[in-house]
Amino acid sequence: MTTKFTVIGQRVHNVDGTEKVTGSAKYTFDVVLPNMLYGKVKRSPYPHAKILKIDTSKAKKLIGVKAVVTGKDTLGRKQGIWRRFPELCDEEILCRTKVRYIGDPVAAVAAIDEDTAEEALDLIEVEYEPLPAVFDPLEAIKEDAPQVHDGVELNININRHIEWGDVDEAFQKCDHIREDQYKCSSQAHVCMETHDAVASFGHNGKLTVWTSSQSSYYIQRLYADMLDMKESDIRVMNRHTGGGFGSKFELDSAQFPAAILSQKLCQPVKIVLSREEEFTATKRRTPMYYFLKLGATKDGKLLAKEARVITEGGAYTAMGATALYLTGFFSSFPYKYPNYRYDGYRVYTNTAVTSAMRGFGAPQSTFVGESQLDMMAEDLGIDPIEIRRKNGMTPNYEVPGQAFIQSCGLHQCLDKIEDHIKKRGKLPPNHGIGVSAYGFMSGGIFNWFNTPYAFSAAVVRINIDGKVDLYTGACDIGQGSNTTLSMICAEELGVKLEDVRIFSGDTGICPPDLGAWGSRETLMNGNAVKRAAADAKRQLLEFAAAHMGANIVYDLDIKDRWVHLVDRPERGVSYFDIVKAAIRGKDGNAIMGRGYYTPHRKGMISPAYSFGVQIAEVAVDPETGRYKLVNVTTAHESGTVVNPLGIEGQLEGAIMMAGGYGYCEDQPMDDGKILNPSIADYKLIRSLDMPETEILEIDTYEPEGPFGAKEAGEGLTNPTAGAIGNAIYKAVGVRINDLPITPEKVFKALREKKQKAK
Amino acid sequence: MSYHCPVCNKVSSSALDLARHMIGRGDKVHRDWLKSKGFKYSELLTLQFKSFGNEGYQALAEVLEKETKVKD
Repeated sequence: MTTKFTVIGQRVHNVDGTEKVTGSAKYTFDVVLPNMLYGKVKRSPYPHAKILKIDTSKAKKLIGVKAVVTGKDTLGRKQGIWRRFPELCDEEILCRTKVRYIGDPVAAVAAIDEDTAEEALDLIEVEYEPLPAVFDPLEAIKEDAPQVHDGVELNININRHIEWGDVDEAFQKCDHIREDQYKCSSQAHVCMETHDAVASFGHNGKLTVWTSSQSSYYIQRLYADMLDMKESDIRVMNRHTGGGFGSKFELDSAQFPAAILSQKLCQPVKIVLSREEEFTATKRRTPMYYFLKLGATKDGKLLAKEARVITEGGAYTAMGATALYLTGFFSSFPYKYPNYRYDGYRVYTNTAVTSAMRGFGAPQSTFVGESQLDMMAEDLGIDPIEIRRKNGMTPNYEVPGQAFIQSCGLHQCLDKIEDHIKKRGKLPPNHGIGVSAYGFMSGGIFNWFNTPYAFSAAVVRINIDGKVDLYTGACDIGQGSNTTLSMICAEELGVKLEDVRIFSGDTGICPPDLGAWGSRETLMNGNAVKRAAADAKRQLLEFAAAHMGANIVYDLDIKDRWVHLVDRPERGVSYFDIVKAAIRGKDGNAIMGRGYYTPHRKGMISPAYSFGVQIAEVAVDPETGRYKLVNVTTAHESGTVVNPLGIEGQLEGAIMMAGGYGYCEDQPMDDGKILNPSIADYKLIRSLDMPETEILEIDTYEPEGPFGAKEAGEGLTNPTAGAIGNAIYKAVGVRINDLPITPEKVFKALREKKQKAK
Repeated sequence: MSYHCPVCNKVSSSALDLARHMIGRGDKVHRDWLKSKGFKYSELLTLQFKSFGNEGYQALAEVLEKETKVKD
């Protein structure tokens, strides 16, 4: 499929790779401006309390302190990413009357250096009246629970319902029904670059911000709301971002206080959150209680599924409302359930806010769903691969009332994985292989943000020397979108990758784009880039046709910098010569192409879906419960592969992150206080813990995607926890239903199993 | 048949779907309507947690079947 391309499908290093590996790439962390001050944020030590008084007088007197701000210095507005629903915009950032979690910001200081700012924080006196707090969603929904937000009954922030078919009737027809409960834990994003911002208000009243972000446009718009400014008076720049997995597209406690301080002083202010703040006061993965009921015929045909979910929302809405919907939608993936029902409830608690994180609710639903499906297969005496094959989605399948799936390579993935398992042969004792199948979206069709713009847009400019400038609002957060989009641009335009220079994530010069979330950049921004490049190419070819004097029955194209007749490729002229002539012919104007993409008539969720199957092999010590991830192999289909090297990078990163979610990462709390807010205490999978990884190539083509491409970023995070859980069961016969599956839990389960056997 | 929401006029295909809409929307105006009919929003939601099935929705759907504007 990829052989007809000259750029797409090549193994390409990231276009900004040299800058990054040599340390010359400038992140927000590296930005230094003349007269720049350093900010720090004072945070609540209480999970729930009224603010009675904030006395900043002592802090202001400290030498080197230039300003101290509190909620009173703001317009008192509340922000939220769900802008279409004002009741869900519930976060002040600088709290005025009440704090709702340990870490909620109450004041900020700007000083000549970080040490002085830090010292000043201790001089700010805040008088609180502690309130009863609630930390667990199952407690928070009780009638007598403390109210996190006034007027929100049972602390239910939002609920979501999905249903098709007749679930109750279908369960009556099932030969076998399972009901199981699961608990999915939290997870920290642990971006290498913590949240940070440099905000600079000019005397002209305009705001310029450098920040580590997944969506410059969202941040610009949210600033405009909170500061009552025109969005065009705000420029947000995201040059390089040191990791973004879902916590960096909402206005945060570095960005907003930095702007308020800068507005007051007309000086640049830089705030970089500490690693501890990153763990305690930024968004995290949503913990969920999952109740699942699954019904099947005795030959393994799944007839009905019912899911009820209660999620720990933390103190504010954030993107948690979307995660609530998506976990319900993806709980039906990747199978053809004729009858399905989902009820999801997001509950406010006095804990750090939960929100989007890579996979966006799907890692939770995939863990619980794939665990239960293996249990169902065992109950029925059916092979785990076979039950997945019997029920798996196929191309051109409609998820009733929800989505239309065009390309789907799930069955090819199952075939390849089955072959792979056979090749691994007989396993040593206490080794087990677990299977997990999954699917994910290629960008969301939601517009809760209420943007009036196209979801993605791009501008292509061809300069006199033939070099191409590509402008896009997409944000490269380390996932390599600058490279992917440059490749798409080069392929469409018929030039080489090195001919394209990309400008991205800068609202001052780039068209709006919703940003890097929901695995949307390759498909959505890729389509916008492809259309912009096609627009520029059309203009060039119009000129070339006249210039070459070709018979009008011939079509022209450009490949490898050669403008030629499609049917007579040898008849052509140099791309560079045509560009020079065309620009001269246009009275000196550079050739500009524009492209937009907004999905229409593509269902409610996404214009396209990727699919895959993963296996994990574990080796368990039955005496201690300790286990090792031996091998993780993935068959992932993402349509046309734009950059194989990029997919391999995504896969390794996903296994590290999703393996951690399944194996060791958690954020235990004591009365709302996160107990492990450091890299030393928060257990991550390190390079030495990484298993052997393999990727099995699957060839599919997505009609909606640019050159047939679709997502390869978040979907890879979904299967690993389920595969690990199933592998542990295969190895030693114990099943763990609450994440993470730590050796301690395995040990306890083994002990219980032994005691029962006695 | 189409069932019209008594609060926002959203059209649903059945009383049960309309009940889902009203509980799902859950904003003040919808909650106030439920209250005026003797329902407590929190109790309807709690019913959904207590067991698998549609108990919370069914209770409201029975009232909506009788009281809402229905068009063929």
